[in-house]
Amino acid sequence: MLGMKTRKKSAMLLLTAVMSISLFGCSTGNTTTGNAAQPAGEGNTAAAAETTKPAGGKLVLYSAGPQKLADNIVSGFTDKTGIEVEMFQGTTGKILARMEAEKSNPVADVVILASLPSAQALKADGLTMPYPEAANADKLNKDWSDAEGNYFSSSASALGIVYNTKLVSTPPTSWADLATPAWKDAVNIPDPTLSGSALDFITGYLSANGEKGWDLLSAYKANGVAMAGANQEALDPVITGAKSIVAAGVDYMAYSSKAKGEPLDIVYPEEGTVISPRPAAILKSSPNVENAKAFIDYLLSDEAQKLVTDAYLIPGREDIEATNRANVKDIPQLKVDWNWMSEHGEETAARFSETFK
Amino acid sequence: MDNNRIFRRVGVILALFLLTISIGVPLLLIFWQSVYVDGQWDWMAPIRTITGHHLSGVLLNSVWLSICVVAVTTLLALPLAWMMAKTRMGEHRWVDVILMIPFMTPPYIGSMGWILFMQKGGYLQQWIPSSANWSEMFFSFWGMVLIMSLHLFPFLYLLLRDALIRIGGNLEEAGAVHGARAAYRFRRIILPLLLSSYGMGIMLVFVKTIAEFGTPATFGRKIGYYVMTSEIHKYISSWPIDFGKATSLASVLLSVCLVMWYMQSAMSRKFTYRLVGGKGQRSKRYSLRGGAGWLCGVYLAILLILSVGIPYFSIIAASTMKLRGSGIAFDNLTLDHYKELLSWGSVSMKAIGNSLGLSLAASTVAVVIGTGFALAIGRSSSFMQRVIDLFSLLPNTVPGIVMVVGLILFWNSPWMPVTLYNTYGMVVLTYVVLFLPYTVQYVKSSFTQIDGTLFQAGQVFGGKPLYILRRILIPLILPGMLAGWMMTFTIATRELVGSLLILPPSMQTSATYIFAQFEQGQVSLGMAMAVVTVGMTVLMLLGIEMLNSKRKWNAS
Repeated sequence: MLGMKTRKKSAMLLLTAVMSISLFGCSTGNTTTGNAAQPAGEGNTAAAAETTKPAGGKLVLYSAGPQKLADNIVSGFTDKTGIEVEMFQGTTGKILARMEAEKSNPVADVVILASLPSAQALKADGLTMPYPEAANADKLNKDWSDAEGNYFSSSASALGIVYNTKLVSTPPTSWADLATPAWKDAVNIPDPTLSGSALDFITGYLSANGEKGWDLLSAYKANGVAMAGANQEALDPVITGAKSIVAAGVDYMAYSSKAKGEPLDIVYPEEGTVISPRPAAILKSSPNVENAKAFIDYLLSDEAQKLVTDAYLIPGREDIEATNRANVKDIPQLKVDWNWMSEHGEETAARFSETFK
Repeated sequence: MDNNRIFRRVGVILALFLLTISIGVPLLLIFWQSVYVDGQWDWMAPIRTITGHHLSGVLLNSVWLSICVVAVTTLLALPLAWMMAKTRMGEHRWVDVILMIPFMTPPYIGSMGWILFMQKGGYLQQWIPSSANWSEMFFSFWGMVLIMSLHLFPFLYLLLRDALIRIGGNLEEAGAVHGARAAYRFRRIILPLLLSSYGMGIMLVFVKTIAEFGTPATFGRKIGYYVMTSEIHKYISSWPIDFGKATSLASVLLSVCLVMWYMQSAMSRKFTYRLVGGKGQRSKRYSLRGGAGWLCGVYLAILLILSVGIPYFSIIAASTMKLRGSGIAFDNLTLDHYKELLSWGSVSMKAIGNSLGLSLAASTVAVVIGTGFALAIGRSSSFMQRVIDLFSLLPNTVPGIVMVVGLILFWNSPWMPVTLYNTYGMVVLTYVVLFLPYTVQYVKSSFTQIDGTLFQAGQVFGGKPLYILRRILIPLILPGMLAGWMMTFTIATRELVGSLLILPPSMQTSATYIFAQFEQGQVSLGMAMAVVTVGMTVLMLLGIEMLNSKRKWNAS
């Protein structure tokens, strides 16, 4: 009996020691922060004081890929303005999830997404700040950007049929070809719930073809087309030869892999495809409004647009041509209805997932 | 004796307070989000979610997968634990470190390795073109079970091996003296004594499987096998986001895991024995000769090839390819990816530094706090202790991503006086919360097996409580603490799902870096990073093993 007590006593002694250490540890841990980031609170108050001067200070950017392009744009912007940028990189879905989690204490100033309907939804929810006087905004493609300046598409990618040149000698020329026995079990399609551009393609195709569009998708399913994660996950098996084709693949990945020497190429089907813009928006909650506006201006400048074309994307401005890829005028387009697409994105994505499970 | 009671009180209250702040409240916030929709209380929302989305099938998928993985990990871990505890093979300490490798590998990387190896036109078929039909067989439910089991069995192996060593030789010899045969001895002596550790182990394996995200996301999607975590993740990470639905599903998962926990703790209480007594332990190791030795060697070799060899062959092959489209060939070899990765001051080097720093901080804090909790729980005799036990296990029963969202909601709420969100401290806190259960489990399982007579002996010879603590309690639970620390460290270095949401902008860890490379199509660079991170962790653990094996008290 006594022994039990002593054992417990020593255990308890250790326990209380441990607990007090850990509490102490926690309390000191809170006040010392890492070198990587300021605590958000301090950042906000400091930033509030800085909004009066346009240069210097910082900017928090949430950006969907491609990463190299985002890195180049950020370093170019910092060289030009002296503003330090903290960037979070992720897919469109991850960025929206992060924004949702930070709803009560937002930190981002600017977001760049890879799907137009998502930006339209941000505008509809009143989360964006209009900036109609952005430099060069008048040169942007009207269909891809907001007339009131809530979002600006500084770049875009077209969706096509990406194929492995070792395995495919005569590439298909229309979307319907992929439902023929020649391509049985050899095709991947990105998951529209993960990939913003794939969602844009599927909703776009449906907005142009109506309910008939589902016939093609059902025929795809019957032919063994596999839904395979986000864009890169869908493309990688094609590069390695496990699959032959990606339907609705983003073209800039195909162009940049091809330039590296991978056995890839792309065709745009003759009946037309969808071009998926990549909109940037200033958030209403931004603590660094002046810096955010400066960033949008930079995004639409000649310098940044050149970085866009270097990454094999379509420039957002219509007065600039890419030399290393097909331009908008070379790509046959479907007659899509963006409003229908942003209204039906959710249900289309759900129905697509159900069909392809 | 009043002092005693006060100590105990304070300890338990402190433990409860810490757990409530770090785990309870965040999870409550999540639940609150799921039933408080658009400013209205809607208690039926979670239930409607479960019934309205054909999710019962997905739930069954999850549970069935976990049961199968538990069965296969048992088959893999039990013979191995016996070999390493009872035979001369146990003297090869390096085996333990190698066996930790599957565990240090981010699950999605391990699955990618298997996929690249087995798929059509994969590395196996480039070697043996006639193996095409194996690929068909492998891309199935049982392939997924195999991958997940190979990833998780080290868990169970470590627990079982330590328990077997503690059982020692005396009891078995007593049985032998009385004429019991080997099979009978196993059934009537070893098995009952193992049950409590085994229960703990399979519960952890079950829960880890049910909360696993990496393998279902890569391999499961390929074979069309959907589980709860992939659905939860879908609601959190793809547009449009619906935390309410995700949290409803999480609460169902939570209930399943709580039932498991209850069964396990009931079993543990029934089968707890005092094994570490005052009498010296003699553990007899069989020397293996002839057929038996060969058999054990072959078994170990096959296990190592499957759990480490094949995935790492793929990972290393992928990390040294110039062009992914050219397959395995000498003229396609390059070390450029490593050069790029390890260039000083690069993003990748910063990411490695971040990973190491965070994991060290998190595992150290987790060991200190976790040991305290484990001692407070003791033998889970009182209700309060069982509450602490349950709470400290929660992070393992909630999918990581849900726990993380809860933490964000809590630390980022407008009414918090000090916000941790978007700081280094927040990341450490998250890791500690996520991995606390490991330390608690390991320390608890070594603490509950200490015989009270040891402390009585200490007291009889006039030891003060502090002295007893220093000379008796701590040395006996140290192996458990160390195992917990190593486990936390290795898992923290590869934590992904939480890191993606919680890291301050512009900060990366090696796991998020790898993930980003996969997203960006730099598969080779990502795989190179995996090789470097895991390699460093292995070297570190080997170093610890070597230091550790020089210590007298080393019981494991």
